[in-house]
Amino acid sequence: MSLTLQKFGISSEKTLLFLFVLKKDGEIISFNNRCELLFPLDKNKIEGKFITDFIIDKDVSVFLSSTSGLSHSSPLINVSLNFPTENQGVVSIKFDFKLHNDLIYATGIDTTEEYKEHRALLTISKLAKTGAWYFNPKNNEMYWSDGCYFINELSPCTSITREKEISFYPEDARVRIKSFLDNLIKDKETYEYTEKIITEKGNEKWIKVIGQPVIYKDEVVYVNGTITDVTDRHNYIEKLKYSEETKHLALKGIQSGLFDYHVKNNEVFYSSDFKKMLGLPLDQDFVAEEEFRKMIHPDDVEKMLKRRQDNFNQEGNYYYNYYRLKHINEGYRHYEVYGFKRKNAKGEITRMIGNLIDVHQKKINERTIVESKNRLQAIVNNGFAYTILLDTKGVILMTDEKSVKIIKRDFNVNPNQVSCRFIDVMPLNFKNSFAHEFNEALKGNIVKKEIERITHKGDLQWLEAKYTPVFDQEKKVNSVLVSFLDITERKLAEIAIKESHIKEQELNSLKSNILSNFSHEIRTPLNGIMTVSKLLLDEEKPDEREKLLEYLEESKNRLLDTINNLSNFSEIEAIKKNINVQKLDINYTIETSYREYKHMAEAKELAYQLELDQTSPQVNIDKDLFRAAINNIIHNAIKYTNKGSIIIKVNSQNSKNNVYISITDTGIGIDNENLKKIFDPFMQESIGMSRKYEGTGIGLSLSKRYIEILEGKIEVKSTIGKGTEFNIIIPKCL
Amino acid sequence: MNVLYVEDNKINAMVMDKMLSRNDSNVIIAENGSQALKVVKEEALDLILVDINLGLNQMDGCELLQRFRKLDILKNIPVFAVTAYAMPGDEQRFINIGFDNYFSKPVNFDQLLSVISKIGTSQTT
Repeated sequence: MSLTLQKFGISSEKTLLFLFVLKKDGEIISFNNRCELLFPLDKNKIEGKFITDFIIDKDVSVFLSSTSGLSHSSPLINVSLNFPTENQGVVSIKFDFKLHNDLIYATGIDTTEEYKEHRALLTISKLAKTGAWYFNPKNNEMYWSDGCYFINELSPCTSITREKEISFYPEDARVRIKSFLDNLIKDKETYEYTEKIITEKGNEKWIKVIGQPVIYKDEVVYVNGTITDVTDRHNYIEKLKYSEETKHLALKGIQSGLFDYHVKNNEVFYSSDFKKMLGLPLDQDFVAEEEFRKMIHPDDVEKMLKRRQDNFNQEGNYYYNYYRLKHINEGYRHYEVYGFKRKNAKGEITRMIGNLIDVHQKKINERTIVESKNRLQAIVNNGFAYTILLDTKGVILMTDEKSVKIIKRDFNVNPNQVSCRFIDVMPLNFKNSFAHEFNEALKGNIVKKEIERITHKGDLQWLEAKYTPVFDQEKKVNSVLVSFLDITERKLAEIAIKESHIKEQELNSLKSNILSNFSHEIRTPLNGIMTVSKLLLDEEKPDEREKLLEYLEESKNRLLDTINNLSNFSEIEAIKKNINVQKLDINYTIETSYREYKHMAEAKELAYQLELDQTSPQVNIDKDLFRAAINNIIHNAIKYTNKGSIIIKVNSQNSKNNVYISITDTGIGIDNENLKKIFDPFMQESIGMSRKYEGTGIGLSLSKRYIEILEGKIEVKSTIGKGTEFNIIIPKCL
Repeated sequence: MNVLYVEDNKINAMVMDKMLSRNDSNVIIAENGSQALKVVKEEALDLILVDINLGLNQMDGCELLQRFRKLDILKNIPVFAVTAYAMPGDEQRFINIGFDNYFSKPVNFDQLLSVISKIGTSQTT
């Protein structure tokens, strides 16, 4: 045993080397004492075992493959085998194998410590995504560790040159990158840079490169270095930078200040911009809370403290408050405060961090909006009868209370709550013109339109609808204000003026018609009278003279009738004062009138009948007035009847209080238009030139007046071509 | 000389008849428009006198004139208005409608007869 060990040529038991003699298959022939550390068992039982029984599994193949290539002429060096030991863990031994007489002479050195360090370094380099490199400036040789290949995503089989390494950088960076190493060789100083590369696979990465010179006799003979993949860190920093900038801009944008309120110390940290704004001292980071409280508007302090206390008492981490703060130059501005409460393990609030947001403009705008909305609402409610604001689609945006009431009543919707189109809730007669006016307003024109509406009480209401376009900031129509002005009074006044104007004209023409008519009615008999007079002058035959005198008499009577009618009419007021009312038998009175016209009716061959009441009722009348009234009607009836009958009836049996007198003819009748005016004085004259009724026309209106003076009533019914019926009602004497 | 007088008032018609008869005219009376239109077709006339107000529901003198104007046989026959409508403007109105002359009632017979005699002379010549 020791014989074989002597072949090592060293004192085998004193050395620190591990010595083995093995068969080529690994069977242990002999070993020195040093090796006992590697074996768990008794030394005596080791011989005859194989070395592969004691090394870690991974190393078995390493051993077998390395020894199979072993020959007498080529020894093997640096074969690391790892032995798991009982006391010292895995012991790493680096062996040199030498073949002699078909036996393997293995000389090992304990590299456990170096190995551990190497592993650790590898692990670190992997974790740190770092690779090592070196460069020999003498022959321009470059070496990359696996880590470098990995970072550059290049296959480790590829040989690396300095040119290849530089090619990974973007083109515009290459000259700069090259100069780092060149300068190092010249200046002998370490360099370090972070740059972007494009990997073999085309990915963008950020790497940090360190180069360190090895100097011998004041000359760089070697350069060691590392490459570290810092992409993640770079991105993270960029992100941080970005979000920092975002935050900064955001804070600037919202005109807010950051604060950090340390509750226990009762002091607040404010961002410097904010302190500048408020005029707080810039040299102190913290401001006493009381100092800050002085900046708050005196009216807001108590409310603010109350809200804060309430909030602090609540669960949850969010904080909200609002108050006015005094600015260094501008006076008080409105702020809203949003914060986050930090609590300790006991649940006490230790800090509150957040920001104050300047909402001054918003508050002012809100107030302005509220004010102008109120003002608008006031206008809407009071300025017009109705006001409706429409969008460009005709949907109601806003409307006044009165319109709401009407729409609710008629359509059962509240347009201020439910979106609805105006056209769907408007009165029917508005619809005809709405589209036209609305479209005009959409074009930017103000349109007015007068329109009628029937109120729910059935009254007629006149409205002036005004469509006013409302423009947005770009001068585009964004809504249309439809306002309704109640012009009923004005309209009624206009109508009244128009009517009175027409009445005036009518009166004027009536006046001239009266004149014209009287002139005609006087001239006609006058013509007879004058002609007869002239004829009489030369007429000598007594018969002819007699005839002419008759003509004269008839013409004179007609002239007298006309003049009497006129004077009666003009003296009606006087008549009223001078009536002589007597209790009279109506039958007798009517019969008198009937007889007066008998000859006239008979001359026209008319059936002329009288039916008297059987009870002979008494009435209170002025005899002359009543007979004038009745005579007029009988006279007219005969005059306008050419064929048929005139029937006069007196009847009081159907009524306790009244006597009914009817005068019915089968004459020409009166059309509806004229029937309405039949009792108007001079009614016939309004027909104008084509006068259809002979006489002054004043007759029937006088009849009516007379009957009314006697507290009676007169009515007329008529059918054209069939006849007319006058009914007179006179109260009985009771 | 044949004169047609359209007049609804009998007294006025009769006195006109008497007056013109004394002055060598033959007067034909028509009480209304339809009678007058019948007469103009049957008689050779030299002059027509027309009252304007011809009574209830009757064609008035103005309308009758329009009918006359449509008849060829009356082409050269003068038509005068003889009427009690004598308010200012009435004369102009009837002349504008197309009457050849206008006489208001009561009729001034001196004037009327003088105009008629002129028509007679112009016809004989």
